[in-house]
Amino acid sequence: MELLTHRYRTLTILALVIAGQLLLLGYQVRTQGDVRLVRVWAVTAVTPVARLLETARRDVSTALDTYVFLAGAQKENRLLKRQLGELKFEVRRLRRELARADRAEALKLFIERSPSKMVAARVIGAGTGADSKVVFIDRGTRDGVKKGMAVVTPEGIAGRVAAAYPTASRVVLVTDPSFAAGVVSARTHVQGTLKGMGGRACRVDYVQNEQHVEEGEWFYTSGDDRVFPRGLPVGPVKVSREGKLLREILVEPAGLQAGMEEVLVILEGVHQPVPAPAADEPEFELLPPPDTLTTMAEPGAARPTPVLTDADRLLETYRRIGQAQGHVYGEGRPGSPPPDFNWEPGPAPRKRSPSGGGHE
Amino acid sequence: MSDYGDLLAGVRRRTKISRYRPVVLFLVPVAAILFQVYVPLFLDYLGYLELPLLVTVYFAAMRRRPVAGLLYGAGIGLAQDALSQNPLGMFGIVKTLVGYFAASASLRFDADNPGSRFVLAFFFFVFHQAMYWVLGRALIGTPVELGAARTLVLAGMNGAVAVPFFHLLDKLKES
Amino acid sequence: MEFEGPAPQNLLKPLPQRDGTRFAAGRIAVFQYLIAGVFLFLLSGFWELQVRNPAFYSERAERNRIKALPILAPRGRILDRDGRVMVDNQASFSLALSREKLEQRQLRALAAGLGLDFDELVLRVRRFDRTHPKYEPVIVKEELTPSELAFIEAHRGDPRYPDMELINAHRRLYPRGGVAAHLLGYIGEISEAELNLLEFVDREPGDVIGKSGVERQYDTLLTGIDGERRVVVDSVGREREVIGVKEAVPGRDLRLTIDLDLQVVAELAMNGRRGAVVALDPRTGEVLAMVSRPAFDPNRFAGRIRSKEWRALVGDPEKPLLNRAIQAQLAPGSTFKPIVALAGLELGVITPDFRVTCNGGASFYGRYFRCHLSRGHGPVSLYRALADSCDVYFYTVGNRLGIDNIARYAEMVGFGRKTGIDLPGEAPGLVPSTRWKLRTFRQKWYAGETISVAIGQGALTVTPLQLAYAIGGLAMGGVWYPPHVALNAGRRPEPRRAALDPAHTEAIADALWAVVNDGGTGLRARLPGIEVCGKTGTSQLASVRAIHNRKLAGKLKDNAWFVGFAPKRNPEIVVAALFEGGEHGHLAAPIVRDVIKAYFDKKERRRNNERIARLRTAAPFRR
Repeated sequence: MELLTHRYRTLTILALVIAGQLLLLGYQVRTQGDVRLVRVWAVTAVTPVARLLETARRDVSTALDTYVFLAGAQKENRLLKRQLGELKFEVRRLRRELARADRAEALKLFIERSPSKMVAARVIGAGTGADSKVVFIDRGTRDGVKKGMAVVTPEGIAGRVAAAYPTASRVVLVTDPSFAAGVVSARTHVQGTLKGMGGRACRVDYVQNEQHVEEGEWFYTSGDDRVFPRGLPVGPVKVSREGKLLREILVEPAGLQAGMEEVLVILEGVHQPVPAPAADEPEFELLPPPDTLTTMAEPGAARPTPVLTDADRLLETYRRIGQAQGHVYGEGRPGSPPPDFNWEPGPAPRKRSPSGGGHE
Repeated sequence: MSDYGDLLAGVRRRTKISRYRPVVLFLVPVAAILFQVYVPLFLDYLGYLELPLLVTVYFAAMRRRPVAGLLYGAGIGLAQDALSQNPLGMFGIVKTLVGYFAASASLRFDADNPGSRFVLAFFFFVFHQAMYWVLGRALIGTPVELGAARTLVLAGMNGAVAVPFFHLLDKLKES
Repeated sequence: MEFEGPAPQNLLKPLPQRDGTRFAAGRIAVFQYLIAGVFLFLLSGFWELQVRNPAFYSERAERNRIKALPILAPRGRILDRDGRVMVDNQASFSLALSREKLEQRQLRALAAGLGLDFDELVLRVRRFDRTHPKYEPVIVKEELTPSELAFIEAHRGDPRYPDMELINAHRRLYPRGGVAAHLLGYIGEISEAELNLLEFVDREPGDVIGKSGVERQYDTLLTGIDGERRVVVDSVGREREVIGVKEAVPGRDLRLTIDLDLQVVAELAMNGRRGAVVALDPRTGEVLAMVSRPAFDPNRFAGRIRSKEWRALVGDPEKPLLNRAIQAQLAPGSTFKPIVALAGLELGVITPDFRVTCNGGASFYGRYFRCHLSRGHGPVSLYRALADSCDVYFYTVGNRLGIDNIARYAEMVGFGRKTGIDLPGEAPGLVPSTRWKLRTFRQKWYAGETISVAIGQGALTVTPLQLAYAIGGLAMGGVWYPPHVALNAGRRPEPRRAALDPAHTEAIADALWAVVNDGGTGLRARLPGIEVCGKTGTSQLASVRAIHNRKLAGKLKDNAWFVGFAPKRNPEIVVAALFEGGEHGHLAAPIVRDVIKAYFDKKERRRNNERIARLRTAAPFRR
């Protein structure tokens, strides 16, 4: 008997712990809410350590990098090549510093030139779980970050703030399946919705098959989602093909390519007609040619190709036939020559309806 | 309560109970979680290394106490949950069970043997992923992807890491 | 967080070593299975209680977890006689809201986000509430634009917004610029009144039906059967798994008798004008073209038309929604003269050689009636009287015939009642007679009134379709095939035949040929090489009572008619054109000419193509 109670004691504790957590889960599912307090604790506890780690990593990485390099050099010929190695070390270190300085400068420039109010943040952690598309940044409600804000880099949009804690925020990346943003193509002004797919690429949804989007063309934010201000780069089109119902477009998010270390949280967004103003910075070699930028600046320029019926196309054909013969439809003086509807408009490409039964 | 000990001792005579300083018990999982939060930022393949799970298995198995193991697992799991997108409790429940079963299993296996350590880590990784999948589907309607082959490969990887990792943790034993 | 360090150690004492062989390893296994079993029991039982128990959740969670989303069936396309697409479908998305946890404040946020009218939105949801169970989502916005889609996608799962679902719908794609708009009609959400109609007995509120034109007439055929997709959604409403799919059955395509080439030419000819064009094949009754202007853009109706826009359309004095081809009832003017002539010949009142001298007018019953040519036509026979449209001649014939004889023949050719075309809302027109006047006004018919009716004025009204139908049948020697627009309408009704003397109908056709080709009023319809026959008509509006609209007063010019057919014997096409405010009938003639030319040009094109095809098949090995 005694044994049984002991046996039950373990069981009871197990059952209680699991039931407790089930209750917690059930509560969250039912209210669709969150146990914010616990998360705030956890995040706040982890943030300083992560921040410390990140700082340490930066400093150490240079040294480590060069040490490994140096070690290799030493192995070859300690005495003779030492000087050379040290020089190389110096060059390497300087180059790294320069790159970092460039990066900081670019960020600064980006913030300065952008009409939107932003705050720079460092990525200090990834969400737990193997397929996580979530990162933590070291800015929180204390810095004015709020849930739902847009997170960008000068290269392109990066994600959205999913939760803001006092000293840190959780950011859902553009590649997360729950991410969506309104986008517009630079050249053809085709509008669509960018969605994460859980992988490296994102897709652009709701583009009609008839609408023209070329591979390599860039997408920018359209501002339609009321989250991302208009005119921020998103990424180049990798794949654009006709789908069953809608066009299938895959975009490589440019904001995630540069190994995100620093990001910017947009506190107050301002729409921009022209994409990223820091276009002459060295990092921006992927920006589209300036002519497409100017078309983008003109509102309503280069409308997406309209979708037409055979009737529309045939009407256009007859209108051209009439025009070519100087014929005004429904008019004609007595004895005036009638139009010839079998007139061929010469070698110019003739747009006949594809199913034009009358002209087989 | 003493009878409980009798029971377990009866099963395995050679059972050795390892003891650890409380600070070790606290800092190791924190470090593991930090590792999982931080390192995959740069080395994304390390995101598949479930260090918190290995820590749970190790301490539960080494201390051989189901109750302690399950509480320990629950703690680590909930901490992980707090830093994830999931509702709180998903990792918590899974790790609770892992802790409990790891402690129970250690009563029958020699948890000091590298071979059985690999098997333990391998098995509990699979169990962890499967349980997580079941919970995701049944409770919050979020089918987590579960590729059988992929899970087994990852389990092997985690098991392989577990052997030296556990050996490292052995050095933190009190006596 | 039950984060603990040494705590568990307090729960258990350090384990002393002891013997206990009776606890075999098997027992431990049983022990663990027990735990697993208890765990499973706990899990399922707990979840049952938590989620499925109505006391906790009032069915909401369960229903919310499994959602039934409609798959809207695409409507059939509408094709012309050659299979060219006139009305197509285009992928489009509608916004559906789950109503289970819907809050006013969420609706307000949504209305603000999408620029919808909040009150209209609430009304729409309420109306749906009355007739549908709670778990069915309500569609609140069709035809989502890319901007709206982006907004919705970016805010899905946000608790400030409703639980939003996107449903793939099929947008109706009509020709632009109102081409064939009246003929094709448009679609819209079924109204309360329509729900009570027998033809929509199987429809539900919120369904989209054909509202006018072919869309309405063949609604049943064009409408498909909606399918359903049952999906599991997660706690934030995101779709996670598809349980079952009932595929939608698309509506059937409908092929019309319309020849798009002719339709398009007629449309172009009516550009900027008010009026209508109807082209028929008198040999079959097939409608080859039907145009009404001004038009509306049915693409605007394809989604939900805003009530303001709708009111503007309805209130427009130009009446763009009116299908003038079958609904405009206007005096036919001189285009009625062939029918008067027919009555005269058939009843022996006149012969083709009967002559009347026109001095620019004549007195009947103490009133002077003028001819449109004030200097007069001089002595005219039937041939010249029709060619030059001499009014005095037909005053005389009409006077001799009497109103009831005129009415008899007018009704015989199809005036005064619906032709029975397969389009909704056809107007019957009016043929005055003594009986009609007595019945309607309780008044006796005055012989003087007959004189105006004889030249197509007075109370006589016809629709453009009736005119084409009447003249086409007359040109066929008295065979009237019922007009129709659906090519595969199944059984074709038998024609109506009248025992007419071929000599009479041919005499009239000859005179109508002279209208175009022998110095008549319809010279502008002339086509070298084609025997175009026709009749101009100018109908005065001054007598029409409906001039109370001040806006139109300035524009009130006479209506121009022209009805033409070709060739003279065994005609293949008859075209009636109404050019409102065209002032004189001969100005409507070029409209008809263009359509007839398009018909014969196409015929020639087809013949040439066939010849080429024959040559190709005859010499398959020659290149």
